Amino acid sequence: MSTRPILLVEDNPDDVELTRIAFAEAKIANELHVVANGAEALDYLFARGDYAGRPGHGQPSLVLLDLNLPRMDGREVLQAIRADAGTRSLPVVVMTTSTEPFDVEACYSLGANSYIRKPVDFGQFMWAVKQVGMYWLVLNHPREG
Amino acid sequence: MKQEHSSGQPLPGGASAGALAAADAATGDGGDLAARLRECEAELARVLQDQAHVSYGIAHDLRAPLRAIEGFATMLEQHSGESLDDTGRGYLARIRTAAVRMAGLIDALQALSRASHDHIDVVDVDASLAADWALVELRDADPGREVVAEVQHDIQVRADERQLKQLFDHLLHNAWKFSAGRDVVHIDISAEREGGRVRIHVRDQGSGFDPRHIERAFEPFQRVHGPDEGGGHGLGLAIAQRIAWRLGGDISVDTVPGEGSVFHVELPAATGAPAEP
Repeated sequence: MSTRPILLVEDNPDDVELTRIAFAEAKIANELHVVANGAEALDYLFARGDYAGRPGHGQPSLVLLDLNLPRMDGREVLQAIRADAGTRSLPVVVMTTSTEPFDVEACYSLGANSYIRKPVDFGQFMWAVKQVGMYWLVLNHPREG
Repeated sequence: MKQEHSSGQPLPGGASAGALAAADAATGDGGDLAARLRECEAELARVLQDQAHVSYGIAHDLRAPLRAIEGFATMLEQHSGESLDDTGRGYLARIRTAAVRMAGLIDALQALSRASHDHIDVVDVDASLAADWALVELRDADPGREVVAEVQHDIQVRADERQLKQLFDHLLHNAWKFSAGRDVVHIDISAEREGGRVRIHVRDQGSGFDPRHIERAFEPFQRVHGPDEGGGHGLGLAIAQRIAWRLGGDISVDTVPGEGSVFHVELPAATGAPAEP
């Protein structure tokens, strides 16, 4: 099981807290690093700006990406992740409220690994977060390095 | 000259300001009509754009706070439920039920908007399969309910498969709900072809309703039944009607209180031709 942190890109503090609770209940112990906008997500991934020389410098085991973010939205973040050799193979799971066909389509063509709609029902939300964690942190074997 | 709105579908109506200007020139009526039609087209494009934004906003920005309400009410129940009395736990249960109900309403509003705007692929579709599929999903969602369903085989129409399935979802869900007081849900789906049209009949043996309310039944948010009689968010039949219209068809209902309802869906018949662009 991967022990590297999970990067959560989410601007809604309620959703951040619910995601924390869901990971805790699912016994997923990886550190959850939260950034509230797209620009900060890229600073973290590329270890620049406030994250210049961040300790460990390794990439997260998983990026959970919301779509509607202030300043730079989730699609642009996804595009930047896929455009750089250092982050190209990172698993990125889009977790959002939208099921608009054009959002789903845009995310897959930009290279999202999964697209998950956040359910309103907390039981279903927990189930979804647990499945994501189980698949990407336990079952899936990532590329080395 | 034809304007298009955001989803790339041509505006309804068919006539364009350009065509009308040509007609004006030919009859010497001046450009007034053409100018007015151009204004109307521009106005319609703006309205459609606004509607798309409102629909997107509803779908996203209203769901996030609901998730917080439902999620934290659940957490409160788990963490502090013991220290609450029955009344307090009852209030929490009401909060959660209301949040989930509102989420269902938001989904239905979005479906209503999509019924008129989504891209559609019109091809030959086996409506019997679409109806069977909708029935299977309803049975899965309510496994305790006894259902006797008869679906005529090989009903071939020209439609968008996903939207046709949705149309059946709403009609069958309706039949299901209004059979709430019956021991068994009876659903019978038959059809006949008349020239280039197919008339599909979805018959239930539920509670029916007062025929004076037939017009209202298809209007958004109009409920002919209260929540205790199986009434829902009041959008299902409105969505079904929008879909029928969008597919070049229509929908109507005959109903007898206490005996049940028959919904008639008229659609273009299958043609054997490939997909329309």
